Amino acid sequence: MTTAVVEPASETSSILRRNRLMDALLRSLTRAAAIIVLIMLGGVIISLVDGALPALKTFGFSFVTTESWNPVTEKFGAAAPIYGTLVTAFIAMLIGVPISIGIAIFITELCPRPLKRPISTAIELLAGIPSIIYGIWGLFVLAPLLQAYVQPALIGTFENVPMLNNLFAGPPYGIGVLTAALILSIMVLPFITSITRDVFETVPAMLKESAYGLGCTTWEVVRYIVLPYSRTGIIGGIMLGLGRALGETMAVTFVIGNAHKIHASLLAPGTTISASIANEFTEADGVMYTSSLIALGLILFIITFIVLAAARLLLLRMQKAEGRH
Amino acid sequence: MTAITPSASLKLYARRRRAHKIAMVLSNLATLLGLIALVWILATLLIKGFGGLSLAVFTQSTPPPGEDGGLINAIYGSVIQTAVATLIGTPVGILAGTYMAEYGRNSKLTTAVRFINDILLSAPSIVVGLFVYEMMVQPMGHFSAWAGCVALAILVLPVVVRTTEDMLLLVPDSLREAASALGAPRWMVIQKVCYRAARAGLVTGMLLAVARISGETAPLLFTSLNNQFWSTNMNASMANLPVVIFQFATAPYEDWQRLAWVGALLITVAVLVLNILARTLSSPQSNAR
Amino acid sequence: MQTRPNVELTKTVLTEPIAEALREKVTIRNLNFYYGDYQALKGISLPLYDRKVTAFIGPSGCGKSTLLRILNRMYDLYPGQRAEGEVLLDGENIVDPKTDLNLLRARIGMVFQKPTPFPMSIYDNIAFGIRLYEKVPKSEMNDRVEDALKRTALWDEVKDKLHASGLGLSGGQQQRLCIARSVAVRPQVLLLDEPTSALDPISTAKIEELIYQLKVDYTIAIVTHNMQQAARAADFSAFMYLGELIEFGTTDQVFTKPRESRTEDYITGRFG
Repeated sequence: MTTAVVEPASETSSILRRNRLMDALLRSLTRAAAIIVLIMLGGVIISLVDGALPALKTFGFSFVTTESWNPVTEKFGAAAPIYGTLVTAFIAMLIGVPISIGIAIFITELCPRPLKRPISTAIELLAGIPSIIYGIWGLFVLAPLLQAYVQPALIGTFENVPMLNNLFAGPPYGIGVLTAALILSIMVLPFITSITRDVFETVPAMLKESAYGLGCTTWEVVRYIVLPYSRTGIIGGIMLGLGRALGETMAVTFVIGNAHKIHASLLAPGTTISASIANEFTEADGVMYTSSLIALGLILFIITFIVLAAARLLLLRMQKAEGRH
Repeated sequence: MTAITPSASLKLYARRRRAHKIAMVLSNLATLLGLIALVWILATLLIKGFGGLSLAVFTQSTPPPGEDGGLINAIYGSVIQTAVATLIGTPVGILAGTYMAEYGRNSKLTTAVRFINDILLSAPSIVVGLFVYEMMVQPMGHFSAWAGCVALAILVLPVVVRTTEDMLLLVPDSLREAASALGAPRWMVIQKVCYRAARAGLVTGMLLAVARISGETAPLLFTSLNNQFWSTNMNASMANLPVVIFQFATAPYEDWQRLAWVGALLITVAVLVLNILARTLSSPQSNAR
Repeated sequence: MQTRPNVELTKTVLTEPIAEALREKVTIRNLNFYYGDYQALKGISLPLYDRKVTAFIGPSGCGKSTLLRILNRMYDLYPGQRAEGEVLLDGENIVDPKTDLNLLRARIGMVFQKPTPFPMSIYDNIAFGIRLYEKVPKSEMNDRVEDALKRTALWDEVKDKLHASGLGLSGGQQQRLCIARSVAVRPQVLLLDEPTSALDPISTAKIEELIYQLKVDYTIAIVTHNMQQAARAADFSAFMYLGELIEFGTTDQVFTKPRESRTEDYITGRFG
């Protein structure tokens, strides 16, 4: 380019033309790639709706409310997997969220500096372990343990407590809704922890110092300053974890028992949307069976889309608020 | 001006200290639980996985129940499908990320793509499997390794898009301005300056994407399915480690279960190595702070 | 700039007679401070007199903020920072590791460079600190909040929006809210770390006026970059340079008849 000055005029203009062409080319190429991402989402939705149409037409809204799932009579209802998906994810959050926030508090406020990185990394490695590993571990290690010790203890403890005795009714199978929820709670830990830790670290040091300056204990600083300050971000992180828990397939498929039944007891086998699809899709014969499974997929996608979109909007709002300060 | 009345305040203070102590113990406990889960899972994997490890794993194909065999067809299938998926997904992802960070930095399209991409990033992978089944397997009439590759490529895409955009945005604008001031056209600035400055980050993104898909099972269940035999035909169903693990672990045969653990160990080691590699690659920047 | 610190001058004594009786509220004796291996303060000794304003002045990085943050042990939040020597608050050594930090900090209030309202209402910003150490009935709490706001001349501006967020106030109002918050806990010493560095001249004047009124009740230490501010607001001034205390005396003496040439150079604007 530096030689352009001494080149004849025609040469210069050809370089300019080439540059303009290359720029336009790269611009449209990258733009096309960006549009592909958009199309992908549209494609997923359209193909799911298309595949689900036969089932939705036949069963109508009762598809969502019917519990029976009978391949022989071709009567399909999604109530059991929807229930299982929501309940496992809910319990997973109930266990996972407090632990995640506890870990985030430890990492940001209590951890000795040399341990900070190793512990952060260790927790994040949990996210790197493939979900099938959680499944096989849950099936062969966690489930037998729960069956032998934890579940009998739960059944015994709550035997005479009204309400709770229904939730923890026997027999102890080992696999079931509670086991799946426990595995999920471990799986969501790294996601919620790392986001919570990140938003904790956006709290200005001076703000924390002024609370300490009043004589607050570390817990009070966390409770009254750090948590309120980072509330939006934490909720975003929780929703992100929830999205993961709702859509998780393999880990759940291993340990949930795959029974299209809604039981009051958390110890009973059940199923989730993703587990039903994973277990039955390749064996499904007949248009109605396949279409019903795809309809399940559509419902799952809609639920997770809402949850994830809400999470992203919250996190986005938080980033914007941060920028304004 | 009296200071705080000692007796009343000290009682209150004792209660506050108790609350503080309890909270801190719980926080420690939570961390301990998380670490125990990690160690427990890894220890189980190491013990059970190494127990079944032998040369046959890398030389023989998956056996029928009751016979000796290995995992070589599944290992091959996993490697080839992961590689092809990465080759499809990464360029598209880098281009899209480039658009978002360079050409269309504040455009509506970028905002929309960023939002959709973040959702695809954590969308259930099984839904992607269904999508590819509808788009490829059903029209073609049979399962195929190509379909598996496409499903995995769709999972690669959002990871690469995200990291590319983030890494390019980290390149200071002054660098772009300096290059432009020399008379370099935009495409050359991007190619020669921005990509070079963000190179470590881009590779990190790719490694993370590979780590993510090499353990994926759900989208392969009804795209590339499984194949008991050695096969290099991309147009037919092909074995892959995750699906083999799923099938073997849930079967009642002990030798199959043993192989499933070996496969689990192999995958986890591969994925963790990729993760750590990605981390160390991106750490020169993070060490600086 | 690169003048060598003079060793024999680190122990400065107050020689001029002072008319009124002075009581040492805080006594700093031979204080050293380290950030890891780096020594940030070297053998600092000086008193903070009861109900007087003492200003710490000097170029950036001289250790004046560090010194202030030792007085309420803020450095304890950060591993690797440590202090050696004695800081006596009414005769009790607060650098002693056995000191209860929370109780200490309740006795020594602090206000920072930038306003730091907590993410809660104006009322709760002030009630928060009070509730930490006292169980106060609602009506008394209202009085305490009102009193704190009146002392900081904020009452008239916020009395109609006590339950609005503290973040909605202007910068100067926020800073006065933070001072009110510290005052409401009824500390004995107030530490001000460049409290007006983020404020406009009018807000700054209001804060300085406030300092003048507050010293009736409190011992105040203020770090400032602003020479005029020290001259206006402080009874005593300590000039620090490269982690050492160069000169300490009444503000009049330090500003008009500095004993040290480096003090004079700094005050007359020859460096820093």
